[in-house]
Amino acid sequence: MPISRRDFIKGTLAAGLAGAGGMLAGPSFAARHNSAGEAQAEFFSKFEGNVILLPGKYSGTVQALDLAVPETLAWFNYGLTGVNMPIPHHIAAMPSADPYIGFDFYQTMQPPMAPYVNENSPEWRDRGDFKMFKMRYDGSGKQNSIHVVNDIAATTGMALGVHVSIGVGENAKKYVAFADGQKDMVLITTIDDNPKIVKALRADYDPIARQVNISHVFPDPATGMFDFQGRKGMKTSHEAMLGEELMPADPTAVFVDAFTWHPTLPLGAILIRRLGCCAIIDTNTWEVRALLSTAKGSPDNFPLVKQQGFTWTFAVPSVLTPLHEAGFLPSGEYFLACNNVLQNNIGVFRATDPDPLKWKKDKFVEGFGNKYLPLHMGNVPDSRWAYFTMWARKPNNGYIAKVDTKSWEVVHKWDTGPDPHTCDCTVDGKYMTTVYSGNQGGESGLVVINVDNNKIEARLPSPAGHHDHVVVPKDWEGMKSSRSTSV
Amino acid sequence: MISDIQLQRPAWLGMRQREFAAALAAAGLMMGFALPAHADSTDGTFPTAEQVGGEVYQAPLKIGSTLPTDFAAFDVQGAKIDFGTVIKGKRSLVVFFISAVPVSVNELKRIEDFINKNAPKVNLVFVNADTVGVALEGGPQKAISATVSTVQLVAKEHGLKRPMYVAPNDALSPTGLSNRLAFRGLPTSFLVNDKGAIEKIFVGPQHWKKGDI
Repeated sequence: MPISRRDFIKGTLAAGLAGAGGMLAGPSFAARHNSAGEAQAEFFSKFEGNVILLPGKYSGTVQALDLAVPETLAWFNYGLTGVNMPIPHHIAAMPSADPYIGFDFYQTMQPPMAPYVNENSPEWRDRGDFKMFKMRYDGSGKQNSIHVVNDIAATTGMALGVHVSIGVGENAKKYVAFADGQKDMVLITTIDDNPKIVKALRADYDPIARQVNISHVFPDPATGMFDFQGRKGMKTSHEAMLGEELMPADPTAVFVDAFTWHPTLPLGAILIRRLGCCAIIDTNTWEVRALLSTAKGSPDNFPLVKQQGFTWTFAVPSVLTPLHEAGFLPSGEYFLACNNVLQNNIGVFRATDPDPLKWKKDKFVEGFGNKYLPLHMGNVPDSRWAYFTMWARKPNNGYIAKVDTKSWEVVHKWDTGPDPHTCDCTVDGKYMTTVYSGNQGGESGLVVINVDNNKIEARLPSPAGHHDHVVVPKDWEGMKSSRSTSV
Repeated sequence: MISDIQLQRPAWLGMRQREFAAALAAAGLMMGFALPAHADSTDGTFPTAEQVGGEVYQAPLKIGSTLPTDFAAFDVQGAKIDFGTVIKGKRSLVVFFISAVPVSVNELKRIEDFINKNAPKVNLVFVNADTVGVALEGGPQKAISATVSTVQLVAKEHGLKRPMYVAPNDALSPTGLSNRLAFRGLPTSFLVNDKGAIEKIFVGPQHWKKGDI
């Protein structure tokens, strides 16, 4: 008996469908393949409820993958936004009770650059762009689609191209943060379809005084916008490659990477790669409350030298190691910092005190040697485990490490493929998904790991060379184990 | 210990951070360099802190020490050269910059104009201390030619006439150029005497004034 290729699933918008305004209304349908009777249907059906967003860095696309079929529900080429050679970089999804019907997400973009191409050659210097887009997946009709809701860089006048993270806990349903390590800036906006600027911050180093200055940056009062679109404000024409925090650069460069949100307290962290520190920000006042020093052998935080107006100056007398990513466990109990290059370890701070000056480095996760850098962090809802991408330079592959958050020991490792990147758990917390990109040209794919028994359950191919990905969370509580608390 | 290194307070401190009256970091700047290589970066190994000066911002080379010149260098035709011969017997200002760092590129013309006017006999040479990204454009074998093309473009667009060279750098190797010569900020300019001994080190853009050279 022939099976209909397309089957329309009737549904209504689920109560509590989360997300900002502009979501779909009325009776709804989603175009999903009914794989009943197909050889792999029963196997993949256990992933029901999981839609995964997969941006392809040098492929210029993003796809929404229905892991339960599996099938791409919709895909979008960012060249349609007018960007010549778009490089989708990092991504974060708003929660959705029924992702098959619809959800919103945020995508950052950076210009094409080293190590892949010579960004200052005549062939590349005018191609690509820094961008942040609010996007929408619409599964409400017979043809699924993805489209742009807002070009946030154009709306705000500030274009940043690295991590994006959505506020949770005290900051849920309010804010989204963007960061960039070429401009050393962070932008916080509202999450509505026409976002408003909430706050912008910038970090600059003074290598002679050995101090870092973290400042509020204000839009032009006449326009209400910044003047940092495109390549404006760049300190370097390419983002420091993984592990290249030692590269000679603009003397003020610090390589800001991301802003991550505390899951329970009104705090967030600016991750500052080159200085091995994280600025803890009060999200009620946007004041800098502390500058954590993440290296083993360094103090827990660097002292505030002075505050003048909207600039906080901290003494950073020595930097024992850079760091890359850092984030919070969903429980809010710990803040974990991935030190790499000169120390390859993960610093564990107790993070429950409302005063971050009291956060202490309890322990370090170690044993990674001198070839593997702790990089991305992925959470599970109950905070039992934390997953880390251990990145490696060629000819090594890197691996994914599972860490026990009681003993702070690595309990399992997987070599998933060359150039591994982000980890993100399924909505039920049973599986960890992770991507690898083959250094933007080789082997690439998505791997699904069983959180309980550590088995690789599935491996899916992808021609898109993923540097990031995200599983669409089910609700705001689910955001705490997604691209909010960690990147 | 107090250093006798003269780090000029760069112009950008005034331009970008007027509210700070930063003191020169004098303490803890005494350190010899030239560590033996223990980690070969071709196998993907990262250096230990000890191998690259102890921390991210290592102490600069000592005033009076000889500037190492035995690093790989190429001229603007892409031919390999012995950099030692470029400065041998001449009082020289060796300026390390990177095409990927706008503040360092923009400083080159200011340096050239200053030298031409105030110290025309100084042997001014520019060195691009990096190779450009070519992973998807032919791979490592294209690195030198692509970088040479880029520095030729820099010279043309900025009206630079002084000699320019390309020196590959592996920032993750203890024997990499920037680790051996102990620089992190750009541009870093070494004023050396006719015997190759370092007289002064300038980091970042400067408010150049007579007497600096």
